[in-house]
Amino acid sequence: MATPPSSEATITSTYIRHGDHVDTIESVDIVFREQRKLSFTYGFIFFAVTLAVPALTVWVEAWWKTTIWGGFTWNYLFISLLYYIFLWTMAWTYSKKADTLDLKLAKMADKITADVAATAATED
Amino acid sequence: MGLNSIAITLVIILVALTVALSVFSRRFTRTTADFYLAGRKVGSFANASAISGDYLSAASFLGVAAAVYASGLDGVWYAAGFAGGFMVVVLFIASPLRRFGEYTVPDFAFGRFGTNRMRLVAVVGVLATSLFYMAPQMYGAGTTWKVLVGSGLFGLSAYNTGVIIVGAIIMIYVAVGGMKGTTLNQIIQFWWLAFAMILTLLVATFIGYTPKDADGNKVGELMRFDYAQYLEGESQGYLLGPASLTVAELKDPAVMEKVELAMTEAMRPTNNPEAGYTAEMKKINDAVASGEDADKVAVVAFQKNKLNELKDELLGGAVAKGQFFNQPGHRYDGFNQFSMVLALVLGTAGLPHILNRYYTNPSGAAARRSTFWVLVFIGVFYIVSPMVGLAGRSMVRAAAQAGTAPTSADYVGGLLVKSDALMPTLARIVGGEVLMGIVAAGAFAAMFSTLAGLLIASASAVGHDVYEKYIKPDATEGQKVFVGKAAVVFFALLAITIGLLIPAPIGAGGKSLVTAFPALIAMMVTWAFAVGAGAFVPMLLTGIWWKGTTERGAIAGMIVGGGGSVAIIVMNMMNALGVITQAEAPGWVWWLASLNFPTVFTFPAAVIAIILVSKIDGQLPKNVDEIWMRIHGNAHERWEKEHGLDKASGLFTSGSK
Repeated sequence: MATPPSSEATITSTYIRHGDHVDTIESVDIVFREQRKLSFTYGFIFFAVTLAVPALTVWVEAWWKTTIWGGFTWNYLFISLLYYIFLWTMAWTYSKKADTLDLKLAKMADKITADVAATAATED
Repeated sequence: MGLNSIAITLVIILVALTVALSVFSRRFTRTTADFYLAGRKVGSFANASAISGDYLSAASFLGVAAAVYASGLDGVWYAAGFAGGFMVVVLFIASPLRRFGEYTVPDFAFGRFGTNRMRLVAVVGVLATSLFYMAPQMYGAGTTWKVLVGSGLFGLSAYNTGVIIVGAIIMIYVAVGGMKGTTLNQIIQFWWLAFAMILTLLVATFIGYTPKDADGNKVGELMRFDYAQYLEGESQGYLLGPASLTVAELKDPAVMEKVELAMTEAMRPTNNPEAGYTAEMKKINDAVASGEDADKVAVVAFQKNKLNELKDELLGGAVAKGQFFNQPGHRYDGFNQFSMVLALVLGTAGLPHILNRYYTNPSGAAARRSTFWVLVFIGVFYIVSPMVGLAGRSMVRAAAQAGTAPTSADYVGGLLVKSDALMPTLARIVGGEVLMGIVAAGAFAAMFSTLAGLLIASASAVGHDVYEKYIKPDATEGQKVFVGKAAVVFFALLAITIGLLIPAPIGAGGKSLVTAFPALIAMMVTWAFAVGAGAFVPMLLTGIWWKGTTERGAIAGMIVGGGGSVAIIVMNMMNALGVITQAEAPGWVWWLASLNFPTVFTFPAAVIAIILVSKIDGQLPKNVDEIWMRIHGNAHERWEKEHGLDKASGLFTSGSK
């Protein structure tokens, strides 16, 4: 079996290089801010919905008392079935959006690398 | 075959398979990355199965259906809280933790904040959380053995035999197979326990149960589970549950009148309510007539609604106190509705044995995908478990009232006295010994998979984070793996010791944790979640998402969150054991000791401590930008992708670094 290539990482305070792949602190910061916005927006929705359940339970009688299908109340139906659909939808869409941000970082980094190479070629 | 021989045979097959897989995996475990992280190349689907196996413990397999059986809606909320915790993991932790690399959570703490002190504080946090989580697994092992086998070996009690045998099996297979063997086993164990849970529901739904008496004569109509219809049926009257009253209390005519009323309700759904009522009340009256005043007698009682009880006080009796199956309030009052869900949701992201598994993913994106699949797997499991709990409510009652329910459990008025016995009992009723055997093996699979993950996490905290870093930094790979295995043996023996000590009388009047907490497994699991949520989640969230977090701030947060949680939990135990009493303790001590879920206070307190101390301290690591690029950048992953190294390589290779 062939020996896999080794990642000779170069790490400084302004960039990390693995082979031809470079992350700069500026490009990482740009994507980090977008990632933070994405994670915290989803986090806010998640906690708002999750904590809305006990809030409705404590303060809205119709939520736990009104039966809508057989013995299901809104409260029972949401916690036993709908909550999971909510979680799956959130996790799936979040993962897809986070993957897109990863690609954005990769493209940004590739452009930086190409620019550096072009500048070096011009100077030569 | 005898009563439980199929169950025992299936458990033995599971154990043999487990040990065989561990021995097989041994040849692929040569480096520490293999031993602790399965070579970091576990695919999303396999990793999601293993994480689900790691996560679904005895508390989930036996406890969730049992909680729904006993409490209705508040039990369902328990399942939803467990599942919801993985959203915090996927949104905030999974990908950055994996990208940072390393082996363990203390590694992250060291790498992010740069001091040995930080790593050692994190090691203490890992050990505290893991030991809190091992305790209910070991207690579950003893009680499950007691229900399934009923007798001990070598003169030991059934409980002690279960604790020792389960502990010994896990010790051997984790020490031999490391993370690769554990991962393989957790995958198989997860699918087994999911299969057992789903099969029980399918049998109850499509084959059903026809109540028959001891002579095999049909005494009731065929029962097939229908979710909406069963929920409606169980919610028509006040929720009934078992209660334990003394003979002296039952001699009070007013108390006995309530017991008679509850028993009348309990017998109402049966074919011959009068005969059932007479037989059940005779047992109670005989026990009262022949017992001492202090003797306990199992009776049926109407359950109180803690949510409405508060409203009742506020509104002067305008709201009924009664509890219905499909309504909230049996377990949690208004305050605890919030604090319970916060403890479960935040606690998942603070369990070191779960977080360690994220390092086994090939990339940050794979870590997110794994978490999505975990949510799907455990979501299906947690949707099915409450259905099984509801099915058990009617079917166990029918079997008990026909006199043909399994004799391994105790009943009163057709209700299980200990609801944790629901899964094996229902399986036996609807599917005979074969289904009971499958469920029994599922219960042991749940304990094995979780305990194995905890042992790996504890061993890595000592073997990797202490031995390799401080005691012998120049150790060879062989020495490191040996120390990892020795640590597994040490923590397995410690877990066995804890398991054996749990029933010991340590409180006032000979009270033990078992007698102080009616649902001890669930309670102890919640404690572990609270410690993890306090110790790790604030440190991880701020460490990953706020560059301004300093080492001193992080340590302050871990002490406030983790230490505060442990202190409140110990006080809560002392309260239940009768050591801290309302009459003698200062008001604030009593208030803290009465908190079941400290997370609602300890989590925000820890976050505030981190922010305040970091702001005052201001001493950021010198290489904070480099750290930031490691957490949030992905150059290394792109490089791996370019060279085809980002693929899951399967578990049967070795030598990964």
